[in-house]
Amino acid sequence: MQFSPPVRASLGFVGLALICLFFADIEVTTIDPWREMGRLGLGILTPDFSAVERLGDALLQTVAFAILGVAAGGILGFSLATIYHLPLVRPFCAFIRSIHEIFWALIFLQGFGLTPLTGVLAIAIPYAGIFAKVYSEILEEADAGAIAALPAGTSHLSSFFYVRLPDVRAHLKTYSFYRLECALRSSAVLGFVGLPTLGFHLETAFKQGQYSEVSALLIVFYILIATIRFWVRPKYFWLYVIAAPLAFKTSVAIDWSNVTRFFAHDIVPMPLRRAETIDFAAISATGDWLWRIMTEQAFPGIISTLVLTQIALVATGVLTLFFFPLVSQRFFGIFGRNLGHVFLVVVRSTPEYILAYILLQLWGPSMFPAVVALSLHNGAIIGHLIGRHTDELPQRADAPHGLNLYAFEVLPRVYGQFLAFLFYRWEVILRETAILGILGVATLGFYVDSAFEDIRFDVALVLILTTAMLNICVDIISRNIRARLRLTTTPDAG
Amino acid sequence: MFQLDGASASYNGHAVLTDLKLKISRGERVALVGRSGAGKSTLLGMLYEQQKDNAALIPQDSSLVKTLSVFHNVYMGRLHCHGSFYNLRNLVSPRRAEIDRVREITDKLGISEKMFEPVGQLSGGQQQRTAVGRALFCGRDVALGDEPVSSVDEHQSREILRILNESHETVVLAMHDMALALEFTDRVIGLKDRRIVLDEASSDLTTSDLARIYKA
Amino acid sequence: MLRKLIFTTAMCFVSLSLAHAETFVFTAIPDEDASRLRERFDKVAVYLSKQLAVDVRYVPVKSYSAAVSAFRNNQVQLAWFGGLSGVRARSLVEGSQAIAQGWEDQSFVTYFIAHVSAGVKASKSFPKSIAGKTFTFGSKGSTSGRLMPEFYIRENLKAAPNKVFSRVGFSGDHSRTIALVQSGAYQIGAVNFSVWDNEMKAGHIDKAKVSIIWKTPTYPDYQWTIRGDVAKKWGAGFTGKVTKALLGMKDPDLLASFPRKSFIPASNSDYDPIRRTGLAIGILD
Repeated sequence: MQFSPPVRASLGFVGLALICLFFADIEVTTIDPWREMGRLGLGILTPDFSAVERLGDALLQTVAFAILGVAAGGILGFSLATIYHLPLVRPFCAFIRSIHEIFWALIFLQGFGLTPLTGVLAIAIPYAGIFAKVYSEILEEADAGAIAALPAGTSHLSSFFYVRLPDVRAHLKTYSFYRLECALRSSAVLGFVGLPTLGFHLETAFKQGQYSEVSALLIVFYILIATIRFWVRPKYFWLYVIAAPLAFKTSVAIDWSNVTRFFAHDIVPMPLRRAETIDFAAISATGDWLWRIMTEQAFPGIISTLVLTQIALVATGVLTLFFFPLVSQRFFGIFGRNLGHVFLVVVRSTPEYILAYILLQLWGPSMFPAVVALSLHNGAIIGHLIGRHTDELPQRADAPHGLNLYAFEVLPRVYGQFLAFLFYRWEVILRETAILGILGVATLGFYVDSAFEDIRFDVALVLILTTAMLNICVDIISRNIRARLRLTTTPDAG
Repeated sequence: MFQLDGASASYNGHAVLTDLKLKISRGERVALVGRSGAGKSTLLGMLYEQQKDNAALIPQDSSLVKTLSVFHNVYMGRLHCHGSFYNLRNLVSPRRAEIDRVREITDKLGISEKMFEPVGQLSGGQQQRTAVGRALFCGRDVALGDEPVSSVDEHQSREILRILNESHETVVLAMHDMALALEFTDRVIGLKDRRIVLDEASSDLTTSDLARIYKA
Repeated sequence: MLRKLIFTTAMCFVSLSLAHAETFVFTAIPDEDASRLRERFDKVAVYLSKQLAVDVRYVPVKSYSAAVSAFRNNQVQLAWFGGLSGVRARSLVEGSQAIAQGWEDQSFVTYFIAHVSAGVKASKSFPKSIAGKTFTFGSKGSTSGRLMPEFYIRENLKAAPNKVFSRVGFSGDHSRTIALVQSGAYQIGAVNFSVWDNEMKAGHIDKAKVSIIWKTPTYPDYQWTIRGDVAKKWGAGFTGKVTKALLGMKDPDLLASFPRKSFIPASNSDYDPIRRTGLAIGILD
């Protein structure tokens, strides 16, 4: 019997993941994790809001970074979207969004230090790349008939503002506010490299095993995200943008000599920096230097990044298939669905970095906790979207129930969409594996973090560029597969 | 078999059917006629609720799973007869015996050569025949069809209606084609303005009698 | 309303940058629990502020490299560095000086610790039987948690750590190294002796699960390092004043929080052994 192309593609990916499993380090190494886990469990159940030093402050700064980052990223992204068809704009956007917020933050930390500008730029720049792509896709969807109906000779600009923009305004707005939720997560995670957001305190509390404080911080974070539509009024968004800087406590004064030094000196390859003149010897030494980085760090990093990504992608798919019925009207009543919703909201609002951190305590340092963290987080996101989608499927009165309903009626109908979301998340998962490197999983991110720790910014830059190239490759492959399988959905998730 | 006693139904707060009195006995072949929106589908749904375990339903939009093959869509008529694991096995790799059983039906409907093509790639008529196939595969006593022959030509329509009649003891079909309704059923129920306006034996009616129901 | 808000915001920027212009800011490498560091260095800030008669503020950072970067970018003018981070910082900032070290820092020691399940006995000589086990360093940029242990591993086992051990990790700080070895996540770890002794005193260590298996030879470690250009802002002789204040720290409470017996003078050349070790194992260029 012949399998359909989507099924063949899925089987291919599962097969690859199984092969990767042979090479992956997925050992559970802890001997006595239960004492720590018990304490964690107890802490989670007994949140202590008073323990958190400067909680309100951290909360305000988390929101301020997110709002300013989205505003700046949105403006920049929108400008880029209007010229997306020009040569080099698309690859430029792909490039800036292929570098994780954490890496951008580490880069800007060198020039701007722990100033608010570092945090805002770290969010704004990758988000501009994402906004540019999605905005341009949304603008493409504008009613072609209405554009064709304009009198001949109408300028590009007029048709843009008269037809395209009004037509898709609502969609743009919805997407932008969805990104604000993402930005809150990004903003919180920036605390892990030292910016004064929730993540700063979360990391501290985790490290010290003060789990009641961890619990309090996470609860505050969930509430912040769950209530976003109540405290952000789209109408007043720009007022928020103006007010946001008030939250910052640290000086914003910037010493530009640090910035120029970073670009003119620090990121210049070491052999070139040391050389008196740029001659053949210097160039060949640079070649050797680059070769050493590529063979000793980049190459092993790429391998384990790809292995981890492949396994996590397939595991995400499998978990999604379990998760989506939890929130679907076709499978559960109102009570069951609400439980499902709470579960998925908690799992997907917890940044994967934090999930991985917890699981690393439980199972020790291998790829296993990283895979589980990535697939839980992403599975919950896709599961939520697919679950919502199943509610819109046609229903017939004589439909089967339970597993039969799932396998024969629902899954075949949503499978295309499921694959579209999954391939879309592929690049996202790859980006996320990079930051798990900071926790010690030997992905490219691990080597990038080490280079920053060794104050070798030239090496860090080479590795970040490698990471970016890898992301762009996966993006292209994913786009080709989606096109070949005719998976045309533009998922609103990223 | 079916009995409605002053039943009514509403959709989104608008009454679709009111004060319906109706009795259909075993062995009857009934046509439901009326303009679109007259409540035929709703009435069929109410009838289905009364005989869930005995009736096979052919919904109007045919509710096929477009990404699955003809085989799978027809096989779905008997999902309730097997354990889930047997069903899953047939989903992944159909068993010979089941293919043969399904083929008996698709042969009758003339869609056997499309057996393993996704339904989404078939013509409207072929899709409708697949939906009928699913109902036939159910092997139930009663068939409830919501315009089961609306997108096939007259020759095929006759063939499908003949098969439906032959395979089921009781048949209730919503129909548009007056001639076919009179030819293949022995009782016609006409719906208009949320109630039954006509309920007579087919032999007493002509197509022009029925046409009146469609006038404003 | 809008204009008022913009004005207020702008004023805030101005006043913030003015307010901080004259504040003497220092940081410290995050080698231990952050809350303990904060408690310790906030007290130091109060002490220095009184001694120097200027505003003094402590800013916490999340990593060793962040401490070095902040020092290099003049966002802090003084820092409590480890041996390695101090060498790095001084090589990046011309004119910066090591001015004081703890009495204990002249002869610092790293402890190799092991989980009981590893079955490694304490010994005087380097325990070669740790080869093949799992091993965790402290922070990637730590002297006692990374540089010195890696040096002795390479010297005695003639190979890089990731070749010697079945798994190598970086716990992040010394407290975590102890916790990870104690939980069995890693069989062996390298930890700063002073943090170990402190945790032992505090009763955080389960002696039945984790114990010391080897002590490294001594080396110089932590020191206070100050930028060379502080005189420009705080007047001539400021470096001397800071040095005097640090050396004159006599409050036993304050000293115990480091924990150091006292502070003694230090110079850049005291850390040459660290620089050479760093160059030898390729962690410095």
